[in-house]
Amino acid sequence: MYAMVAAGLALMLGVARLINFAHGEFFMLGAYAFWYAYSEWGLPYPLAALLAPAVMVLFGIAYQRSVIRAILPRSWHVQLIATLATSIVLTNLAIIVLGAQPKEVPTMLSSRILALGGFRIVWQRLLVLAAALLIFWALQRFVACTRTGKAMRAMSQNREACAVVGMDVQRVAMVTFALSAALAAAAAALVSPLFNIFPDMGTTLTLKAFAAVVAGGFGYVNGAIAASFLIGLTEALAGSYVSYAYKDAIAFLIMIAVLLWRPQGLFGRRIGI
Amino acid sequence: MRYALTLALLLVMAFSAGAQAPPIKIGFASAMSGPAAITGEGVKWGATLAVEEINAKGGVMGRKLEAYFADNKAQPGEAVSAVRKLADVDQVDVIIGQTHSGACLGAMPVVKEIGIPMVIEACSHPKIRELSGKGGNEWTFRVALDDEIMAHTFARYIARTGVKSSSILAMNNDFGRGAAIAYEAAFKKANVKLLSTDFFDPGQPDYRPVLTRIKRAGAESILAVILASDGAPFMRQYHEVGLTQRVFSRGSLTTAEFLHQVKDNPKIGDGVIEASYWINTLDPEWDKKWTERYKVPPRVHGSLAAITLKWAVVPALEIALKKHGKADRQTIRAALEEVDVKDSPLGPIKFDANHQAWINMILIEMRDGQLKILEKLPTSPALLN
Repeated sequence: MYAMVAAGLALMLGVARLINFAHGEFFMLGAYAFWYAYSEWGLPYPLAALLAPAVMVLFGIAYQRSVIRAILPRSWHVQLIATLATSIVLTNLAIIVLGAQPKEVPTMLSSRILALGGFRIVWQRLLVLAAALLIFWALQRFVACTRTGKAMRAMSQNREACAVVGMDVQRVAMVTFALSAALAAAAAALVSPLFNIFPDMGTTLTLKAFAAVVAGGFGYVNGAIAASFLIGLTEALAGSYVSYAYKDAIAFLIMIAVLLWRPQGLFGRRIGI
Repeated sequence: MRYALTLALLLVMAFSAGAQAPPIKIGFASAMSGPAAITGEGVKWGATLAVEEINAKGGVMGRKLEAYFADNKAQPGEAVSAVRKLADVDQVDVIIGQTHSGACLGAMPVVKEIGIPMVIEACSHPKIRELSGKGGNEWTFRVALDDEIMAHTFARYIARTGVKSSSILAMNNDFGRGAAIAYEAAFKKANVKLLSTDFFDPGQPDYRPVLTRIKRAGAESILAVILASDGAPFMRQYHEVGLTQRVFSRGSLTTAEFLHQVKDNPKIGDGVIEASYWINTLDPEWDKKWTERYKVPPRVHGSLAAITLKWAVVPALEIALKKHGKADRQTIRAALEEVDVKDSPLGPIKFDANHQAWINMILIEMRDGQLKILEKLPTSPALLN
């Protein structure tokens, strides 16, 4: 979950050089889109899980056109305030429109347990792992091989130069936001059957994903993914062996430790996806 | 002639409007946003329904009620703002709230400073009782039982079931931490060995690390201080990790709210026993009205806010109006000390010197996906000994 959300956040940072503090709300909206398709419309799980990212692609485009386009040339202070404000507005809109009652979307796989000796895991978690690996592989191929992917990489290196040679930077930014929103929604559709969907669910997630992006090397997608796994694993171990109450602090301790040791992040070289 | 008649009619209308008594303003403070927003939403629904119900019957001695709401985000600092908004902007006469212990403790000094009565419907931190009434804050009253009151009875019950050891898993807030302290002492007294205490932040997606930790501790039971909103993932992951410990709870795990959330597998909470003071069968008429209006089962905090209004605040308003012919903050405060209701859905409501009402305590069990009352026990200050 952290990895897919952090990958989207890193993409935006790499390409648009903007930290989207409303990214957790992309995840939240994706989860609600999935809930609506799966529980309210009664669509089969695979179809609902595909529909949520499709809806969020449209949302990502709308967000880029309405919010990002206006703030992209402005200073980071403006970008921070605008994306943070969007996050607060989206969370409270969700409370007003969808209500504060947590939604449950259990699937067949979320209660079936695979027991191997002392090891027990629900099948949904295995699906999450397999789907996440597939999505990361597809993302790598997209960025490395497609024309748009190459444009994204070019923009992450030098946006001004891209504009000078005639590249439509706003269009590339739009594709990046659409892709990031779809990644967040895919993560939401995969993990929502394991816990509750509620309006505030994205807030902490944004901060954790941000910690992963920073620790992984500002805007470096593979770094963000690796750092997310590191944070998730450390959190689980800390929650189990040290203190569950302070496990959330672990992500930020890792971030601080990495920044002290390697200010450019674990895998960071320069801004680049 | 026509002008004279019109003028007379206008005068009559103006006179009758002027003669109509002004409404009594009731403020409700709860978490309307943030991770605990479900409680505030329930309070808003319950309060709206109760005020409509009272006004439909003519109000309180001819005075209509008006409800005002403020958001405390379940945080002490925000609770101060919520009280100031209700008292200074909305000019309410009495506050019902704050649902969350931390918010209650944060709001208490400011209601004392302003001089506005606050009737607490659901906060269960033991310190609230210590600080209220003769404890120094004459403006706060509490209907809800606290964990110190319930802990000894519940711990003795847990010991009676044959349990020798327990782990505590509690919410990482004033409610959870207050309960953990109360149960640590109560377990000691009841000879139940406490093997571990852990805290979690509400809204956690993954309880497996802490459940694994509890499994390693090897206690025979878990005391979960948890709300319904966190209950569903907690119980699902309890089964996933393969725990077999008996689960006892405080909060709102054994509620219709929880069962509504796990309707795909309502038996997931079977065997859980909770110490509480509210269950949705206490007032079937209320349950029916709520379900018809909101299409979901009655929520605990909304129902408690409504009961507090109907069975503690309204009787106080009646006393104030009868005795003094007015219902301002000071007279309502004095009248609350005289409230003596014998048969509210929660049991008797009469505030003692610490402004604590001694309502009934209920032990609820989930069995076959249903809620069953195991025991309904009267409470008294003797339980603290």
